[in-house]
Amino acid sequence: MNRKSTKTIFTLMLMSSMLIAGCGGNNNNAANNTTSNNTGNTPAASNAAADDTALDTSPFTISFFGGDASPNWNKMQDEVGKAITEKTGVTIEAEFDVGSGGGDQKIPMMAASGDVPDLIFAKGNLSTLVDAGLIIDMTELIDKYAPNLKKVYGENMGRLKYSLDDQAIYQIPTNMGVGQQAFDATGGFEIQHRVLKELGYPEVKTLADYEKVLKDYVALHPETDGQPTIPLTLNADDWKIMITVTNPAFTTTGAPDDGEYYVDPETYEAQLHYKRPAEKEYFRWLNGMYAQGLLDKDTFVQKDDQYKAKVASGRVLGLISQEWEYSDGENALKAAGKDEYTYGHFPVTLSDEYKDHSFMQTGIDGYGLAITTAAKDPVRIIKWLDWMSSDEGQILRTWGIEGTHYTVNADGKREVLPEISDGLANDTANTQKKTGIGQYLIFGARYGDGVKDSTDNYYTTSFPDQIVASYSDAEKESLAGYKATTWKDLFPKEDEFPIKETGALYNLPVPTDGQYQVIYKKTQDIIRKRIPEAILSKPADFDKVYDAFLAELDKAGAQDMEKEFTELVKKRVTLWTGKTF
Amino acid sequence: MKALTENGVTANESVTPRPPAKRNSGFWKSVLQQKYLYLMSLPFVIWVFIFSYVPIWGWLMAFQNYKPAKTFGEQKWVGLDNFKELFHDERFYLVLRNTLSMSILGLIFGFVVPITFAIMLNELRGSIFKRTVQTVSYLPHFVSWVVVGGIVYKTLAIDGGIVNDLLMWLHITDEPIQFMAQGKYFWGILTASDIWKETGWGAIIYLAAITGIDKELYEAAKVDGAGRIKQAFNITLPGIRSTVMVLLIMNIGHLIGIGFEKQFQLQNNLVTDYSEVLDLYALKYGIQIMRFSYGTAISMFTSVVSVILLFAANGLMKKFTKESIM
Amino acid sequence: MGGKAFQMTKGERAFDIFLYTALTLIMIVTLYPFLNVLAISFNESTDTVRGGIYIFPRAWTLENYQRIFSYTGLIQGFKISILRTLSGTLLGLISASMLAFTLSRPEFRARKFISTFLALTMYFSGGMVPMYILMKDLNLIGTFWIYILPGMVSAFNVFIIRSFMDGLPFALQESAKLDGANDFMIFYKIILPLCKPVLATIALFLAVGQWNEWFTTYLYNGNKPHLTTLQYELMKVLSSTNQGSGMVNANDMARQMAQISPESIKMAITIVVTVPILVVYPFLQKYFVGGMTLGAVKA
Repeated sequence: MNRKSTKTIFTLMLMSSMLIAGCGGNNNNAANNTTSNNTGNTPAASNAAADDTALDTSPFTISFFGGDASPNWNKMQDEVGKAITEKTGVTIEAEFDVGSGGGDQKIPMMAASGDVPDLIFAKGNLSTLVDAGLIIDMTELIDKYAPNLKKVYGENMGRLKYSLDDQAIYQIPTNMGVGQQAFDATGGFEIQHRVLKELGYPEVKTLADYEKVLKDYVALHPETDGQPTIPLTLNADDWKIMITVTNPAFTTTGAPDDGEYYVDPETYEAQLHYKRPAEKEYFRWLNGMYAQGLLDKDTFVQKDDQYKAKVASGRVLGLISQEWEYSDGENALKAAGKDEYTYGHFPVTLSDEYKDHSFMQTGIDGYGLAITTAAKDPVRIIKWLDWMSSDEGQILRTWGIEGTHYTVNADGKREVLPEISDGLANDTANTQKKTGIGQYLIFGARYGDGVKDSTDNYYTTSFPDQIVASYSDAEKESLAGYKATTWKDLFPKEDEFPIKETGALYNLPVPTDGQYQVIYKKTQDIIRKRIPEAILSKPADFDKVYDAFLAELDKAGAQDMEKEFTELVKKRVTLWTGKTF
Repeated sequence: MKALTENGVTANESVTPRPPAKRNSGFWKSVLQQKYLYLMSLPFVIWVFIFSYVPIWGWLMAFQNYKPAKTFGEQKWVGLDNFKELFHDERFYLVLRNTLSMSILGLIFGFVVPITFAIMLNELRGSIFKRTVQTVSYLPHFVSWVVVGGIVYKTLAIDGGIVNDLLMWLHITDEPIQFMAQGKYFWGILTASDIWKETGWGAIIYLAAITGIDKELYEAAKVDGAGRIKQAFNITLPGIRSTVMVLLIMNIGHLIGIGFEKQFQLQNNLVTDYSEVLDLYALKYGIQIMRFSYGTAISMFTSVVSVILLFAANGLMKKFTKESIM
Repeated sequence: MGGKAFQMTKGERAFDIFLYTALTLIMIVTLYPFLNVLAISFNESTDTVRGGIYIFPRAWTLENYQRIFSYTGLIQGFKISILRTLSGTLLGLISASMLAFTLSRPEFRARKFISTFLALTMYFSGGMVPMYILMKDLNLIGTFWIYILPGMVSAFNVFIIRSFMDGLPFALQESAKLDGANDFMIFYKIILPLCKPVLATIALFLAVGQWNEWFTTYLYNGNKPHLTTLQYELMKVLSSTNQGSGMVNANDMARQMAQISPESIKMAITIVVTVPILVVYPFLQKYFVGGMTLGAVKA
């Protein structure tokens, strides 16, 4: 990425020297980097923090643009919002992107015109603003004024740096919780509880196991409620093809989610994951499923709502998806009391030699807040963000106000008031608008599910007991059949994998100019056309079609793109771990 | 107005015995004479200049590698690179083929069907029925393409789609046909859906034109013993000819830029080779990946072709039908 | 031509039967999508997922509408939408009809130039970036006028109105001219009243266009809560996932999917958006359905 012009560096230096008394040139400051890695344990930083972090509570307005929609935003007139304003004096004047925005259209206009709000959640478009010199480096600000931010990010501080060539901190990732633990598995391969029960809870570890289960059951029950039983269906409508058709190719063959790539953990060489021979076997399996009539004929022609309607009809025995992708259909089943038609999750792999990597942790790597050059008082903003990231601020954001939204019981445990939890579950929109719970999550660093604070309470309102409590009887029965408490028990755990040094590579910023994006788009077009074609082809033709597909990828320039991506991965590893190549 | 009542003479031709423009008088004299006409048009001309012509400087981007992050002066000039890339991309020719196929189909049916519909409505006697049909027919215009796409998919589905049920019941086919899985059906399905959705809306303009036709023409035709079908052909159609031609010229200009929403909502991964149109290509390979320059090059290409088509259509129409917009 | 008691021939009768049958069929087919939307909007959202709702709701509810109307900002948005629809339609009509009139005058010397100058605007645009910068330079960003001014003159409308004016008897203008009326008076007093059918049509086009447009609000006025339109406010309700970017982040997606609006809400939104503009229709319809007689104005 040739993103950095001397002008930008100059502007940044000017900015930092204007705003923070006389500090510039932080980009080449090696000492600075080590400090942030040690999370402010140096006495100097703590001393400086002592009086600099005192909170000014005079009224202060921050203009903000968020790349994600936030339909229940109530202009801070909700209870939590009022509490934030009361405690910090800050009011956010927010605009959130609507629809499928992601800031894709608004942010280039901001960059072109220079009109930016004070604070921005730019998602994948941050680099456009950075290139325009509109984002300020927060390194010094955090160091001086934000002890809580440093505490939350801890050893991850190094991961906040922008890139190897520009080690400034332009954003603080706030769309994910630090130390987040998943309490349950929601992906993998799904099978209906009625199938599991009738077949006596068979072992489901490999594709062959999964196939046999579906085949055996459909032979016994060719019809469900008078309609033909569908052993397996997938959703290939638009981008969902990734979720249910292409991503499972790497999950079943022992690779972690790196978006469209497979990155070798030793050499960091990246390639489109479809090129792995094992994945070809996965698609061959799908091809076989189609040839045998086990995979729904409509798979590649149905629209999202047709797919969901099938799930909701209860006649689909198996899915290969994520719970959020089919939950609408499953909720309809639950509402109709047909719990035995809902699904359990299994870590299915191509063969015994592979391990499902779903729970491999990526560490902190996400989108977040950036302060722009339009902000008149960045110090005030960073202090506010720091307050929002304090224990007090985090609990206000996730739990709400003590007495109004939660209480502390005799054992010192926080408990959400029943009317609030009911409201959040059944009347989410209105409850969020009234209480403001869940509306301020991105405004500050935070810990994820499963992390406890100094009072031995969880920072977030979800914890393991809730998961089990939310299971239906059919689900509990299935789990008992597999001697498990949660579906996660069936999956390889976090501690079986090292934390990924490369982070979540689907988030890795890629060049916005040059040929990279073009090749990426072209390969996407090819993948979305050829993968269905390969699956639908005659089994005898499968090799021919798949090999032609791979050749077509390379013809579109895939190798150049992979090379570029490899370089980016290596740079990130160098930045985060210090390894050199 | 005697000429008007002559049977078989078009309403339009009969009312245009106009003085030819006086080209020989002095320029300023004519300006003075026509001062009201200038006063009534020039402010809007300036208006159009500001809001439509000034932003055309953006076309310069087509010759740059434009980055929103830099000021215009700092951009890198790349000459004709963007155009070269466009004309060397096989995909471009494919999407151009799709665009033209669908727009020509749309042009033919998009004229014939709404005009026929408007004339049919005009032939209705009962005013309540007429209004009801007309009101109902334009409702689908307000239903978004997402919804229409969903309905089309369900109608053509292989399990429970009404079209396949009907075909099987009539023994036209033994096996249900996967209409949406085959590219060869796509253009037809798209055109049919478009007609379904937009006919009522499109007919409004013709209905308005029909109301402008002098009633006496019909009366005279009746006296001459012309039947209703004959009247429709001899009076109604010629009466709306001017509107039809104007719309035809304007739409020929739009042959290459037809938007992409309907194609996008009706397509699936199996038919993209038939469904992708130029405007979607421009979005995908242009703005969506921040290639403003490439997007601009495509839109410039579209504009230039459109203007050529416009002048060609306008010239031909002028020559053969005496109708034109310029 | 309605109501005339003519002796109908056999052919005429057959023609009538064909006509009524065909139009009834068309009516049924075109009514379906709207009824379908209406039915789904009154159906419980979890039940809707099961599919199979055609023209009647299966599990009747008003909840979808209640949810929409519980959003703040709708009333405010509604006001702005009405205001922009009224003013945009009015200004659009004035500009298009005046221009059309001048262009319909064969002796007008600038006629050819202006026609061409206008026609070209239908086929090109400078793109989003130059437009944004222009709006910024004209200080229109963050104002109400950005809804009205940039698109005020529409070439399409001008040509449609002109083609209608071309069909009017020219003698009317001539006689008025002899009476000493100036061009503006001819336009205002004679031509305009005759153009009611086409003006009603163009008013409908303009009103629907103004009413449905939301992108201007999105691009320029999204951070001005007092200037957002109903469409934009409803777009907020409709928030969905980010489909644009290629990389799919499972966590991110899961969180966003939880916010995605159920089908029934979307349909209820369609109804909320469409009904106000449909209400206008009967008032305009009388001008282009039914017809009027030119005889009345003939001297």
